[in-house]
Amino acid sequence: MANIALPASKITDPAGYYDLSVLDNPSARRYYRRFDGILIVVLFSFLALGISIHYALTAGDWDYWIDWRDRRWWPLITPMSLMMFIAAFVYPIWKAFRLPIIATAVTTLLCLVSWVSRYFNFGQFTDFPMTFTFPSTYIGLGILLDCTLLLTRSLTASAFAGPFLFGALIWPINWPLFAAYKVPVEYSGTLVSLSDLMGYQYIRTTTPEYLRIIEESTLRTFGGSVTPLTAVFSAFVAVVTYSLFLLLGTAIYNLAGRYVRRIV
Amino acid sequence: MSEVNTSRHVYEAQTGYFEDTAGGGGIAGHLRRNRIAYVGGALMLAIAIGIRIYQQMMAFSVGMDYYEPEFQAYWMPLLYGEIAVLGSVMVFGSIYMWVTRVRDVSTITPQVELKRYFTLLGVFTVLGIWAAMIAALAVESDAAWHQVAIRDTDFTPTHIVIFYFSLPLLTAILIPTFIWAHTRIPAFMNRVSIPFLGVVCGIFMIMPNYGFNEWGHTFFYAEELFAAPIHWGFVVLGWSLFFLGPLAVQIIQRMAQLIAVVTSGRDCIVPNG
Repeated sequence: MANIALPASKITDPAGYYDLSVLDNPSARRYYRRFDGILIVVLFSFLALGISIHYALTAGDWDYWIDWRDRRWWPLITPMSLMMFIAAFVYPIWKAFRLPIIATAVTTLLCLVSWVSRYFNFGQFTDFPMTFTFPSTYIGLGILLDCTLLLTRSLTASAFAGPFLFGALIWPINWPLFAAYKVPVEYSGTLVSLSDLMGYQYIRTTTPEYLRIIEESTLRTFGGSVTPLTAVFSAFVAVVTYSLFLLLGTAIYNLAGRYVRRIV
Repeated sequence: MSEVNTSRHVYEAQTGYFEDTAGGGGIAGHLRRNRIAYVGGALMLAIAIGIRIYQQMMAFSVGMDYYEPEFQAYWMPLLYGEIAVLGSVMVFGSIYMWVTRVRDVSTITPQVELKRYFTLLGVFTVLGIWAAMIAALAVESDAAWHQVAIRDTDFTPTHIVIFYFSLPLLTAILIPTFIWAHTRIPAFMNRVSIPFLGVVCGIFMIMPNYGFNEWGHTFFYAEELFAAPIHWGFVVLGWSLFFLGPLAVQIIQRMAQLIAVVTSGRDCIVPNG
């Protein structure tokens, strides 16, 4: 055990600042390494749980099925959902540790748990084919968002550039995964996509066809412009959502030093 | 490794400070053998895999209809068992933590406080492993189930696993842990950490929200669109995890002070936050 009865100097100077040299010893470094390992496991595990619940209940329906991933709603809803969760964690991790990693970490964790979940739950448990329920990818977008923070070192500047890129590029970065399913086919005299056809074949009892929220209203009149139009709008929505939740994350982070009196 | 040991010996020779690591005693031994994390984590993995296998085998064969005798035989006893186990852990655990609380803060040395922080982190590691299991195996199983089965009652195989066990288990462990931390760790004693309270309350309040969810699905929303407003209560309460950031900062700040004091042998100004 440590002998703390040695003649002692203070670990803080008269102004109250810590003398960090006290941590420059092998024992402290060993403690810190173990300490870091535990924190990473705990933080990433809870991030995985948080994003899986948050994402499933705000944008999950669009991500579960390939026929829901349309040009209008999926690229709008998904960045909005992800920005909420990511932004609230960006502030504390940047402020306390100067680590621009949260967007990459959250999108990677979401990708990991989604693949495991789709395989075991949609594939093995309820027998949907993985080609119908595979998850989308957002890791590249997360890296882009983190890079804007890394390069600008400014939460304000990155709050404009990062989410804008995230919202604008969500469709093109996923297009290589989706393209094969958007091939037009004729079904009973009607033009549908291959993914629509898969949706008709696999009956989903509690999200019937009238609930499939895709390609609604008059956007079709824009013809080929639907995708870029949605991308720009999605980018702006992502910027606003990110900024609001960055503020929320800031407000919650400021509770770090706060305690209340015990009532019992 | 030998480099580290050598430099440690040089440091010890220069400062006169020695750490007894022989036989894995003291704090270093506790770190090496953080039994709570290893044993608890292994237990959580075993429970998660076991219950997932049971769900896979029994959900479609005997779990389709609450009114069938098979459902009463294979699923309801599991539900009653879950409620009994989780209720007991939460209630008796909380009572025990409170009754055996430390009343005199001055008896807790920096070494003991640091050790307790690592114990706290050990419990969080166990909960983290369980959280990862919920994320990967449980959350979307309910979504998948509802797409192939018609909603009958509040008791379905996936609800019995997720609603009445997986998420409540977090609460059943977090509440006694919250009391333990606030009655054993000086930085938390005689006051209440707002971030810690935020995490505990948010996860606890998910349980009352089940009531609203099932009530709503019974009366006005039979479909199971996951992004529907009826589910947004879960989302907002899940945001209680945002408090993990400030809670981590609270813990890290205090542990940094304690590590400095314990490893340097220099005097302790530990202002309790």
